[in-house]
Amino acid sequence: MAGIVKVRLEVNGREYIVDVPPHERLIDTLRYRLGYTSVKEGCGRGECGTCIVLVNGLPRHSCLTLTSTLDGAKITTVEGLAPEGKLHAIQVAFIETRGMQCGFCTSGFIMMTKALLDHNPNPSYDEIKEWLSSTLCRCGSYHYYFAAAKLAAKYINEGKIYFDEKQVREKYHLKVV
Amino acid sequence: MPKYLVDLSPLRRDLSYVVVENGVVRIGALTTLWELSKSILHQDIKYAGFMDVFRKFGTMAIRFNATIGGNIASATQYSDYITLLLVYDAELRLESVHGVRKVRLEEFLVDKRKTILMPNEIITEISFKEPPSKTSSAFIKFDRRELLIAGIVTGAIYLTEEEGRIREARIAFDMISEHRIPGRARSTEKCITGRNISEETLIEAEQCLEKEMKRISDWWATSEYRLEMSKAILRKGLRLVHNRILNGVM
Repeated sequence: MAGIVKVRLEVNGREYIVDVPPHERLIDTLRYRLGYTSVKEGCGRGECGTCIVLVNGLPRHSCLTLTSTLDGAKITTVEGLAPEGKLHAIQVAFIETRGMQCGFCTSGFIMMTKALLDHNPNPSYDEIKEWLSSTLCRCGSYHYYFAAAKLAAKYINEGKIYFDEKQVREKYHLKVV
Repeated sequence: MPKYLVDLSPLRRDLSYVVVENGVVRIGALTTLWELSKSILHQDIKYAGFMDVFRKFGTMAIRFNATIGGNIASATQYSDYITLLLVYDAELRLESVHGVRKVRLEEFLVDKRKTILMPNEIITEISFKEPPSKTSSAFIKFDRRELLIAGIVTGAIYLTEEEGRIREARIAFDMISEHRIPGRARSTEKCITGRNISEETLIEAEQCLEKEMKRISDWWATSEYRLEMSKAILRKGLRLVHNRILNGVM
């Protein structure tokens, strides 16, 4: 078929082969073909940062990336931060600091936090603010998210990387949707 | 919708580098800003302006994927690396199947989103002479908030000092004439060459800039405001670069 590109992707540790038109955006591949709906589209032009995912460990606006350019890439979204039945320290820190309001921007902040803590496990508040300013939050939860990043760093440095999902849900009254 | 889109990312392996050799700094056009930040350009005070541009460029997430060549090719008054590279007297290497040509960055720019790049050409390298000792630079961006700003007014300043006096001054702004592309303020540069950084010099620099610069009014700001902010950048920038040379730190 003319104009279709075969792309091998590893997303959240799983191998996929997708046939995409060359102009298909990564955000559409992740959300609609592969079902990773944690990735959100706020602006479609690289300004709001809600679509940020990690490509080969580094942040990327999935709304500005063409899937056809990513043959062989490793992609991480929120769904891939922890194994089945577990939550990552970053997710737990975001829950515990109670910053989420509408929750739409949160994926972007979480992925940027992951990238930051991979790069520097002990970031200063200034460095946290610089990295996390990549995403906009219309509800104004910024300072909660900065605190969450600090708390996540603390957990990870204490060796607490994964938490039991069921226990966290019960503790914080989070229903399964 | 373009008929064809060519993906340059396979070229990143060859066109992503920062090297200093034989007195020349050479930067691969497909070097991302993140990669620039890991190079000598973010370590040596001679290149201080590069750190300034980086810190005000879009947001952090953008800097992992934006490339210096991409910023130059966009050719607008908001292409911050152009404004900075103008004060480094940068040259570009343009390549196509027909061969290679080297042009000065100033020659490369024609007008907003218009360059001398031919349809079959790409920028492959940016280069400039390694600055002598007692040199530093600064880039200042004024806009309504900290990040995700294009810059109502931006400016870059490069100074080489000798015995406390300006041996060489290079100054560029987001716009110097009615063309919506960055340009050098050459008369103002001549005005302050040989002088020291004193209040008298700064006042005269502002007066020279006022004569040289032609600002326009548009939807975002008036020409009067832009001129005043340009003078503020000149004043702030000259003092900042002088201090960087004096103290050897940001």
